[in-house]
Amino acid sequence: MELSGGRFLISFDIDGTLELGDPPGRITTEMVKRARDLGFLVGSCSDRSATSQKAIWERMNMEADFISLKHMLDDVKQRFDMHRYLHIGDRDLDQMFAEQAGFDFLWEHEAYTEPWLDWLNGAGGPIAGQP
Amino acid sequence: MFRTAVHPGLWEHKGKVAAVGVGHQGTARRWDGTAENSVGAWSIAACRKAIADAGVNPADIDGLVLDTTTTTGAHWPAGREIPMDVVAKFNQTDDPLDGIAKLSGEWIVKNMPELTNVKYIMTGPGCMSACIVVAAQAIGDGLCHTSLVLKSWHNLDGRYYQGGANAEPTISGPAKWTNPWAGPASLGTATQFQRYMYKYGKSHDLMAPFMQNSRHNGLLFPEGYWAQHRPEELPAEDYINARWVAKPANLFDNDIPIMASAAYLFTTAERARDLKQKPVYILNHASDNLKARGFGGFPTLEECETACENVGTRLFEGAGLKPDDLSFENMYDGFSLFHVFHLEGLRSHGIGKGDALDAFKGDISINGPFPISPSGGNVGSGRTRFWKHTDCIQQIQGRAGARQMKLPANVGVSGGPMPTGGNFTVWGSSPD
Ligand SMILES: [Mg+2]
Repeated sequence: MELSGGRFLISFDIDGTLELGDPPGRITTEMVKRARDLGFLVGSCSDRSATSQKAIWERMNMEADFISLKHMLDDVKQRFDMHRYLHIGDRDLDQMFAEQAGFDFLWEHEAYTEPWLDWLNGAGGPIAGQP
Repeated sequence: MFRTAVHPGLWEHKGKVAAVGVGHQGTARRWDGTAENSVGAWSIAACRKAIADAGVNPADIDGLVLDTTTTTGAHWPAGREIPMDVVAKFNQTDDPLDGIAKLSGEWIVKNMPELTNVKYIMTGPGCMSACIVVAAQAIGDGLCHTSLVLKSWHNLDGRYYQGGANAEPTISGPAKWTNPWAGPASLGTATQFQRYMYKYGKSHDLMAPFMQNSRHNGLLFPEGYWAQHRPEELPAEDYINARWVAKPANLFDNDIPIMASAAYLFTTAERARDLKQKPVYILNHASDNLKARGFGGFPTLEECETACENVGTRLFEGAGLKPDDLSFENMYDGFSLFHVFHLEGLRSHGIGKGDALDAFKGDISINGPFPISPSGGNVGSGRTRFWKHTDCIQQIQGRAGARQMKLPANVGVSGGPMPTGGNFTVWGSSPD
């Protein structure tokens, strides 16, 4: 699906980011579903094992477009040809791996207002939290 | 108190001290800030469970051995407000963090009014392994006759090992001599394991069967973290692909910090006969005191191997046993990589230097001829350093439930927390 403004991919860290994480973050399952329903590719990128990440998506009652280990985020970029890539997380490591992989990055506390929804209006400028 | 001579001789109290009762409380990943889930409350609960399990009259308890520290990496942050509403729910000592982020014997006695006759209170520094050794020797020496042996862990929100001196931009104080290159806590073990792989021509992925087995056993430990909160097996692929924390130590080689409390009831073999559970006899204990020669007190692989070999010699000689008398082993695993050194130091069932990773290819499960870490250890149940001891007691009592090993569990060994400087115990179904 081609969104207005391009093809977008969002990668969610789990612990401290998603509400099902431990500790829970402020990104709700509803937000993830909304992004998915609107045509974003969504998946998780976490230090949790693939087995553990799959279990989280089962609990969310969704199928992820991708599941990745945190240090393998660049593989996600290679797999999907998108206009924008975003990773959301709660640790310095999230920021580091996002930058290394060429993703935009949002802290969990910057992301729970769903700033990516603005992209649907063709807002091509920097997302919240980016220089 | 600690048996550190290379040839300390047969332990003078062999078979005269027994573990009878076991009590666990928890687990949780972090403290939720409530009084009922504080480390103090959980410690009381664990002690009461151990007392009930043993069927001992609390008034008969005259000893308490515990570790007064309840974390290695989640120290109360400087400046954080102490929740006085929680403090006020308990009988206090002069330290408001007592029962919240540390634990004194005084606090336990003040908050367990049924302990009317505790006269011997002693610290086992750093670990349940030390508490066990101290309690066993104290009972053997007649310093007390019936003792609670307690180890508790709190964990706070935020990152482990990231506070205190580790949060400072530079290293100062004594640590400037010992920690010059920074790095995570597992750096030392990773360095030793790197050398191990080079020396014996091995690779990190050979650890996978051990990790898989440990997590599987942990999932059979109803008191454990993974069984209670995240019942996930650890397939080899998940283990091998995990991010390096300090190569060659990956995320799973580093144990997950949790909150939990465990207490045991130890008494004399004579008194144990009248209690509710089958006595598990302490056949010997041994400790290591090797001082590393290297810069910063950082042991080399060879020093680790020497320490582990010395511990093996001490343990079996002092128990009057041979290495192959072991039915199973529960040596420490947090970090998982040094389980290899511990295991090889025992020289049991043909596993000598450089052999452990190949041994992991065989049947190391609870159904096999020589179960390796049937407790699952910290890998299987979270960072407490006590699952291995509980499992030794429960295996020999025949109360390990789904973890019960297939062959008779007659002699087990447990201990830690490091290849150099740890404390270790031989447990037996018979006092002889
Ligand atoms: Mg996170």
